[in-house]
Amino acid sequence: MIEISRLSKRYGAKTAVDDVSFSVRPGRVTGFLGPNGAGKSTTLRVLLGLDHPTSGTALIDGRRYRDLRHPLRTVGALLDGAGPVPERRAIDHLTWIAQSNRIPRRRVREVLDLVGLGDAAGQRVKKYSLGMGQRLGIAAALLGDPEILVLDEPVNGLDPDGIRWVRTFLREFAAGGRTVLLSSHLMTEMAETADEAVVIANGRIVARGSIEELTAGHASLETAFFALTEG
Amino acid sequence: MTGAELTKILTLRSVWIVTGVILALHLLVSYLNVGTNIEAVRAITPDGTIELFADDPQPAGRAIIDFLVASSFQMGLFLPGLGVVIAGQEFRTSQLGQTLLAVPHRGRLIVAKAVATAVYLLFAALVVAGASTAFMYAAVRDWNPGLLVSPDAWLGQGKFVVFAVLTGLVGFAVTMIVRSTLAGVAVIVGLATVTMTQLLAAFSPALDALFPLSAGRNLLLDPVVNRLSASPVHAMAVLVAWPLVTTAVAAFLLARRDAR
Repeated sequence: MIEISRLSKRYGAKTAVDDVSFSVRPGRVTGFLGPNGAGKSTTLRVLLGLDHPTSGTALIDGRRYRDLRHPLRTVGALLDGAGPVPERRAIDHLTWIAQSNRIPRRRVREVLDLVGLGDAAGQRVKKYSLGMGQRLGIAAALLGDPEILVLDEPVNGLDPDGIRWVRTFLREFAAGGRTVLLSSHLMTEMAETADEAVVIANGRIVARGSIEELTAGHASLETAFFALTEG
Repeated sequence: MTGAELTKILTLRSVWIVTGVILALHLLVSYLNVGTNIEAVRAITPDGTIELFADDPQPAGRAIIDFLVASSFQMGLFLPGLGVVIAGQEFRTSQLGQTLLAVPHRGRLIVAKAVATAVYLLFAALVVAGASTAFMYAAVRDWNPGLLVSPDAWLGQGKFVVFAVLTGLVGFAVTMIVRSTLAGVAVIVGLATVTMTQLLAAFSPALDALFPLSAGRNLLLDPVVNRLSASPVHAMAVLVAWPLVTTAVAAFLLARRDAR
C-alpha cells in the first residue's frame, strides 16, 4: 500500500508538487498520468526517498522508503534519474545492487533471463540499445522480488514485443495481490494496463478513479486526459 | 553493504585504469633509479656511509630506508586520485539515484562507501610499498637484504600505507562533497600544489602543516635532511582529521541534498 498525503515539493520559487494526496492499493495497477513537468517524477522521487518533501508524507506500508532496511525486497523501482554507470557490465550492475540488499546472487541471472537480457549479461551497459537499457532497469526493479513496483515510463524505448511483455507482466503481478504504480504519458498503453489512474497537472491532482470512470463521456483515455489537463 | 560498494569499485574499469597508470609510473621511476642505487650500495664506505645523492654522504642504513619510504611517498601523492574516481562514479549518469534506491539510509551508505574505498586504497598502497621494496632489494641484496625487513623499514612503509589510505579518503570525501570527478580532481591538485610548491611552507609553516599532503611529508620524511613544517605527531593528527571532517561534511550534505 502506497499513501501520499498532502505532499508538496518546491525547488526554490518553483512549486513542482502542490498538496498531492492519493493512495495505491494492492491487487491493482494504478496509472499515474500527467504531461511532462506535471510533477509525476518529482512525486515518485519523494516517495522513493531521493528528494526531500517540502511538506507532507509519502509512505510505503506505513513507513518512509528511507526507513526500510533492505528496501528492494519491498519496493522495486525504475526511475529516469537512477541508472547504471555505462562502462559497467550489466551483470556487475545487478550484482552490486543484489549484494546491497542481501538478495541471493542467483536472482541476478533469473531477472536477466526474465527480461530477455540473459545473452547480453556480460556486455557493458554503454553498448546497450535504449530498449535494452530499459529492460535492465526493469530487471533491477524485480531483483528483490518485491511486493510493490513503482515504474516511471517503463515502456520507453521498448519494441512492441517488449511493451506487450511489460503489460502482461504487470497485469499478472497485480493479479497476484501485489501493488503497481505506473507512470506514463502513453495513453493507449495505460488504458490497456491500468485498472485505475491518478491524473496530475501543474503539480496538483486533477482526477482519480477507475479507467472506466475517467473515460466516461469521452471517446478514449487520451481525450479524457486532454480534457482534464488542459481545462 | 560494504561488499556491494567493493563490487562497485572492482567492476569499474576507470578504477583499474587509474590504478594501473599509478603503478606503471611507480615501476618506471623505480626502474630508472635501480641502477644508480646499485652503484651507490656498491660504493658504501667501510665506515657505512652511502651517497645516494651526489656529495650528500649519509649513514647507509638510514639513508636507504628513507629513500625506500620516499619512493613510495611520491606515488602516494597520486592515490587521492583513486579516491576521486571511486566517488565520482556516483555522479555519472545518475548512479547516485540507483545507489540511494538500494541504500536509502545516507549514514550507512557513506560509512559503507568509505570503508570499501579504504580497503581498495589499502590494497593499492600495499602494492606500491611492495614494489618499492622489491626494487630496493635489487640494490641491497648483496650488502644487507635484511635491512628491508628491519623494524625501521616496516615502520616507514607502515606510515606510508596509513598516509596513502587517509589522503585517498580525502579525495573520496571531497568528491562526494563537490559531486563531480573533475571538481574533485581540481581540489586534490590544488591541495597537492600547496605542498609541492612549498610556497606556503616558506611563508607560514604552521598553516602549511595543516594541509594533508604536507602532513604526509612531515610524517614520512627525515627531518634531518628535509625541511619540514611540523612534527610527526602533529602530522598524524592532521592526516586523521582531514578524512574524518571531510567525510562528516559529505555525509551531512548527502543527507540534506536531493539526490540530483
